[in-house]
Amino acid sequence: MIVQLNSSTLYLICGGIIAFVALVCVVFMVRAFRAGIAIGMDRAKLVRALTSSVTFSILPSVGILLGVIALSGSLGTPWPWLRLSVIGALHYETQVAQAAAEQVGLSSLNVQEMTPAAFSTIALLMSICIMWGMILSFFFNKAYLKKLQGKQAAPIAESTQDTATSDGAAGETGKKEKGPGFGDSAMTAMFIGLVSAYIGSYIGSFVSGEEFLTFRGDLTPIIVAAVSALVMAGFTYLSEKKHMVWLESFSIAGSMLVGMLAAIFLR
Amino acid sequence: MKNAYLENYDKTTHRIGRAVSALTLILLVGAPFVIGSYLGALPDLGAVARGFLSVGLIWTISSVVEFLVYTPMLGAGGGYLAFITGNLINMKIPCAMNAREIAGTKSGTPENEIISTLSIAASSLTTIVILAAGVLLLVPLQPILQSQTLQPAFANVVPALFGAMGYQYFRKNIRLACVPLITMSILFILVPALISQTSIMIIPSGALTIALAYVIYRRQHG
Repeated sequence: MIVQLNSSTLYLICGGIIAFVALVCVVFMVRAFRAGIAIGMDRAKLVRALTSSVTFSILPSVGILLGVIALSGSLGTPWPWLRLSVIGALHYETQVAQAAAEQVGLSSLNVQEMTPAAFSTIALLMSICIMWGMILSFFFNKAYLKKLQGKQAAPIAESTQDTATSDGAAGETGKKEKGPGFGDSAMTAMFIGLVSAYIGSYIGSFVSGEEFLTFRGDLTPIIVAAVSALVMAGFTYLSEKKHMVWLESFSIAGSMLVGMLAAIFLR
Repeated sequence: MKNAYLENYDKTTHRIGRAVSALTLILLVGAPFVIGSYLGALPDLGAVARGFLSVGLIWTISSVVEFLVYTPMLGAGGGYLAFITGNLINMKIPCAMNAREIAGTKSGTPENEIISTLSIAASSLTTIVILAAGVLLLVPLQPILQSQTLQPAFANVVPALFGAMGYQYFRKNIRLACVPLITMSILFILVPALISQTSIMIIPSGALTIALAYVIYRRQHG
């Protein structure tokens, strides 16, 4: 069965879909870059946003590759490759694949019991369970963003309209004078809430993870996060105080790498 | 002139975004049927329905929440792309926030829309290239990536990511960050069962932080 699941036909089907999504990314990237230039954004700023995003994504992507390897033992390589390249999520795939395997009567997700019917059913369930983000985007992205912009930026919209006939720089000044709306603070706050939930879970896991209030849980994630934060502080110091601005593009990736190395030495 | 250009850009973004979302959806749902007919057995729709009721409903709810929370962060182009390419919490959202921080753009502005789209597209392409290279080199890479020595490093990608990003955001908003961090830590210490539900716990944590930010915002802006 695993030979069939790793056949060139499956590579072709999955690779074709991935190539399509890659093309979509290129189209969006080129359009956004051109639009940035057209509205007078600094080319260097756009390039830095690009390079920082690439360096930022390398390490998590290697982590995702491990997910492909983990699933390839039972589902072959092409399908997990597709799943984790397109709308997949590392924490999602294994869980759903496992649950799907149980639904089709396998004792667990393993290649010995895998049949063609089991595989196609598991594959369909994996696709269906996670498709809602795309469906919601299809129907509501435009209306939702319009509603939000209308709410948070009423004064900004007015100022932009006032300067619609003058040049772009005047519009920018108009915005700055009004001050940023709450939308921006809300996004920052949401992200702080997100990071707090994760770091809180590491602390909770250490204190009560093994047994309630025994401080015998895994300390590694806390140390890794702390090391990574310290290295980030070093990068920030260098880029802000020593004016090594170019470091910004690599600071997150560099901090993560040192943090992850710390995990190796802790064992 | 600039406004007309942006309006047109926005309209086309939605048009392309919708078209590719629909097409990707058809390809993804269609693929198991095509693969099934190649292997000689189509999916068992009854088992799919049962499986969906047991695990899918939770993911449906979490998808709705993800859409509502992350779309404003990602904007139009970034939103369509991120929901097509996935891995939102562990990569796309922090990546877009980082690019936004570097470019110094504010949410809801056209500049932010452009930076966010660039960031998500670059991030998605990076993942696609690394996964493709990894799959090509799977045989020689497998022993290295799965070596016991490197396991702790890859098991801690997310703590390393949130440590670095935490520093970046907490240092500028230390007063705001203390409350959710302490509250969430205490909550997870007292109810350790919630640790496995961290992705859901982002919602109350985020709501609490937004409420606090609103109080601070109102105080600063009269």
